[in-house]
Amino acid sequence: MAMVQPRNLKYRVWYARIALWLFLALILFPFLMIISVSFRSGNFATGSLIPENPSLEHWYLAFGIPWENPDGSVTEPFFPVLLWLWNSIKVAFFSSILVLMLSTTGAYAFARLRFKFREHMLTAMMILQMFPAVLALVAIYTLFDKIGDYIPWLGINSLGSVTIAYIGGIALHIWLIKGYFETIDNSLEEAAAIDGATPWQAFRYVLLPLSVPILAVVFILAFIASIGEYPVASILLHSMDKLTLAVGSQQYLNPQNYLWGDFAAAAILSGLPITIIFLACQRWIVGGLTSGGVKG
Amino acid sequence: MGDETCSQSAKSDQNGKSWLAIILVGLIDIVLLYGITLMYAQGEIAFALLTLFLMACGSWVFISQRGYCYRYVFPGLLGVFTFIVFPLLYTINIAFTNYGSNNLLSLERVREIHLAKTYSSGDGSWGFRLYQEGGGYHLVLEDNDGNQFETLSFGELFEPVSIQAAPLKPDSAGTTGTPLSMREIIKQRSSLKQLTIIMPDGTGLVLAGLRKFGPLSKIYEAQTDNPLILTDTRTGETLYPDMNSGFYTDGTNEVGPGFSVYTGWKNFNEIFSNPGIQGPFFKIFVWTVIFSALSVVFTLIIGLLLACLIQWEPLKGNGLYRMLLILPYAVPAFISILIFRGLFNQNFGEINMLLELLFGIAPEWFSDETLAKSMVLIVNTWLGYPYMMILAIGLLKAIPDDLYEASAIDGATPWQNLTRITIPLIIKPLTPLLIASFAFNFNNLVLIALLTGGGPDLLGATTPAGATDLLVSYTFRIAFESYGQDYGLASAIATLIFLIVGLIAWLNMRVTRRMQEG
Amino acid sequence: MAEVKLNGISKSYDQGKTWIIKDVNLEIHNGEFVAFIGPSGCGKSTLLRMICGLEDITTGEMHIDGELINDHPPHERQVGMVFQSYALYPHMTVAENMAFGLKLARADKSIIKQRVDEAARMLQLEPLLERKPKAMSGGQRQRVAIGRSIVQEPRVFLFDEPLSNLDVALRVQMRQELSQLHRRLKTTSIYVTHDQVEAMTLANRIVVLSPLQPGAKTNLEQVGGPLELYHHPANLFVAGFIGSPKMNFLNAELQQPGEEWSTIKLTSGETLKVAANTSSSACGSQVIIGIRPEHVLLLPDKKQDQTEKDNTVIATVSTLERLGSESFIYLDHDSVREYLIVRVTGSGLQNENDKLGIHLPPKQCHLFSAEGLAFSRTHKPELNTCQS
Repeated sequence: MAMVQPRNLKYRVWYARIALWLFLALILFPFLMIISVSFRSGNFATGSLIPENPSLEHWYLAFGIPWENPDGSVTEPFFPVLLWLWNSIKVAFFSSILVLMLSTTGAYAFARLRFKFREHMLTAMMILQMFPAVLALVAIYTLFDKIGDYIPWLGINSLGSVTIAYIGGIALHIWLIKGYFETIDNSLEEAAAIDGATPWQAFRYVLLPLSVPILAVVFILAFIASIGEYPVASILLHSMDKLTLAVGSQQYLNPQNYLWGDFAAAAILSGLPITIIFLACQRWIVGGLTSGGVKG
Repeated sequence: MGDETCSQSAKSDQNGKSWLAIILVGLIDIVLLYGITLMYAQGEIAFALLTLFLMACGSWVFISQRGYCYRYVFPGLLGVFTFIVFPLLYTINIAFTNYGSNNLLSLERVREIHLAKTYSSGDGSWGFRLYQEGGGYHLVLEDNDGNQFETLSFGELFEPVSIQAAPLKPDSAGTTGTPLSMREIIKQRSSLKQLTIIMPDGTGLVLAGLRKFGPLSKIYEAQTDNPLILTDTRTGETLYPDMNSGFYTDGTNEVGPGFSVYTGWKNFNEIFSNPGIQGPFFKIFVWTVIFSALSVVFTLIIGLLLACLIQWEPLKGNGLYRMLLILPYAVPAFISILIFRGLFNQNFGEINMLLELLFGIAPEWFSDETLAKSMVLIVNTWLGYPYMMILAIGLLKAIPDDLYEASAIDGATPWQNLTRITIPLIIKPLTPLLIASFAFNFNNLVLIALLTGGGPDLLGATTPAGATDLLVSYTFRIAFESYGQDYGLASAIATLIFLIVGLIAWLNMRVTRRMQEG
Repeated sequence: MAEVKLNGISKSYDQGKTWIIKDVNLEIHNGEFVAFIGPSGCGKSTLLRMICGLEDITTGEMHIDGELINDHPPHERQVGMVFQSYALYPHMTVAENMAFGLKLARADKSIIKQRVDEAARMLQLEPLLERKPKAMSGGQRQRVAIGRSIVQEPRVFLFDEPLSNLDVALRVQMRQELSQLHRRLKTTSIYVTHDQVEAMTLANRIVVLSPLQPGAKTNLEQVGGPLELYHHPANLFVAGFIGSPKMNFLNAELQQPGEEWSTIKLTSGETLKVAANTSSSACGSQVIIGIRPEHVLLLPDKKQDQTEKDNTVIATVSTLERLGSESFIYLDHDSVREYLIVRVTGSGLQNENDKLGIHLPPKQCHLFSAEGLAFSRTHKPELNTCQS
């Protein structure tokens, strides 16, 4: 924003800066606190922001290594955090791949091919995307219960079930990719058709290589969304070794077994990679959100 | 372009590959048809129909040339249909039943369970001796004529088990192991109760006292003229299925387990008339609306202000500011929410420690209704403002600079700039996004489930309901929390939420369309 | 090398409710360079896309070399297309762009290389083979697009307004290159343009299309050589479309039909003689006289003998456009709807509101019936005589 500079600009900048830093302190407080907590010994220890006698106890446990207390007793790790993280990553990776494949082909048809009910399907998807899976959990549970009778690895308490349950959320991605496809000159594919390409070849060799940026955005968005998904995973997964991070982490703060310090270390350990991915891809994600937002 | 593009594209894509496609589709169809028959045989009509429908669509799309275009959308639509549309329809269907943990099975299944029920009829009795051999036990039974039978070995039992028995030579030398005393037998009674001994002639024997086994008889037998009605063979009383309650009943008492039946509008009537549900439902509905609206307002205000601030040129280093400000959005929400749950903890939470230190107070964040609600709002604002900020930055960039230059010449203050130029210009494209954000918060289950779990509990509710519960989390708890899970009621509430969400979606479409037009 | 035959070709996007193209019959001979021309919305690009298979043919038959190709997918028709936007694959180098079609057809690597090199040499693209389209100028991209079709050795070249994205100087240069290329390859070519200069300079024959009027039987207006269209437009549409500035049209009625000479009376009262055969029409029927601005003569002296000379009318100068080497004079006259335009060489010494006597040479006048059809001209058009 260009502004004609008033004389007291210098003070204003300082006011703004101070306000911004105060706000940032407020916003970042939980993060700083959790880092501090993760280095305190014990689960009920209190203290200042910089721990007086730092201990790596919670970090050992988060990495699944038993911790020997000063009194000689050994604390075994309560929860398999790394396994949960691995489960989350598996689910997120495969579901994102599926989402990417289905939404890309779908978007191609919606952007390029003309067929009956095309407009209706698009509108219907737009509306359906506002109905979250949360509302139909009973039905989803029953559905996977039934699927599990025939295909066990897609039944209740399997990572496969969660992976394919996330396919339902492709509507938004279809819109995003379709918008991008529409910015690509249609005559490229016509030229390919004259060069002898089938529609599939034109899609595969011409359109796809040109759409890599948006595909990356969609993959990352889908990945992050499925890592953080809680409701569906919480009803489909039961046993300790099958939980995803989003479902498992909650167990740390059970009132009967309150493991605040262990949680802190586990949260940082598991949250950090995802946060870094997000910040690294920030530019594209923001672009995707705004364009998707402005369109939808 | 018309439909012709579709078939035309198909022409160039089918060079002898069509036979392969037909064979492949055929194979898949055979497998699916087998599955459908199984489902139908088990009475899963809804699922059989769903699969049949999807299979038919799929086969047509992949075989017919006219379905060519749909090949690209079909897999995606299949996903959307199976995991969104079908669950929605199924949920609405459940809303009209009494499906729940008490009425889980079909009538057919329940009837079979009743017919399988047995009792010890007491005609004749078999004395027994219990032998231990290693970790296992076995029994030797003797009837009134002195014939002896020996059972196979069994361990400690926790669930019903049938075992075979075989005749033993008249003298008991044939058996091995140590016979156990009465005291030991009493210890093993719970195990013995689980046993059904199948005699060589096929009759089943069960424990009929501390010293003897007796033969089993079926309690119920189906009436010949109406196989659904069962007669108690002992008393001659009849047991008939009550299609309203979903239980077999003898007129006064219900005999479990229940089966699921269509109950019409009962669940909806419950919501609007049963004070134990109606009260919490309306309280929760009002809170859900307030929560969603306030979340949108707070995140919008903070996001917009921050966007203006970091877009302000004199403020150097706004790349860093932006990254730090986005941080709450970058960290997965389930982690941040749990962090807040710990920080707000009444006794060991760092927030209360700080407040104690500064002001000497320790608010009860999780047990006081108002405090819990404000905590939920604080956390949600913290989580949600970066999204609004990102959107606002995008929209602000689209406003041409010369507007601000012109207003500066007119002597406008920054506040006037914001209210007279910025807000009017971005409110239009922002409105559909705000509605979408409202809808998102309306269904923000994760926040409530992980932060407060709905608590503190509301008084006078017959189902679990809390002060911070949103409609979704209320539904979630009715369906999945504790015992007495009532899927029917939960689905009825979910159906009401569909209507509300549908209304919001419709509103959003209209606003979007109006935005595009003007 | 091939001939293309269009037999009653029609196109509708809504199952026959409205037509974009109706009943086009056309024969394009082997080695011919044909231009499709017409205002926007006349369906010329659609027609081209139907020839190459990007659009379905609603009714009618299309043959290439005697083979019915209605249902052939684009690549089986063996045609090459140059798009208005060039449609070069942005992620491939020039060489890859040109080789793409052959690769899809699984051609031998040595053949691919040989053909690409040959095309590159012909189009002077050799130094650019490893570049991506982004790093090239408009003219170079244009050449790559042409090269991409040449490599496929098509039976027919199709050009969809290929020069419209270039600036004026480049356009002239590319026009000449295209012309030379056609002379060398002698491949049948179809060229769509809205620019009549391109059509007149490049094509052996020009096909004029018009936006389909309600009730019209076809939107194919006329097919003919460039000069034939200029001198003998078959109807009002072609007469008005070919030539710049537009031909002047004056409303009149037929006073005396004749086989060689016809006498007509303008609505403003003047009587004119026109060299056209109107023997089939009745006396008193409505007609329209057309005359090109470059054929109208100004009488040298303003007020002398204005009425004495035949075929003279008097009009008032409304506006003058002076371009230096030539000038256009816009005159008001009662029988013309807008202006009567006269082209004169030089800087135009007339002033606004001057009354001018203008001469319409009888042998330069075209005569059209009220339905817009031309009466045949009976005398060879005179050579243009311009005045200052």
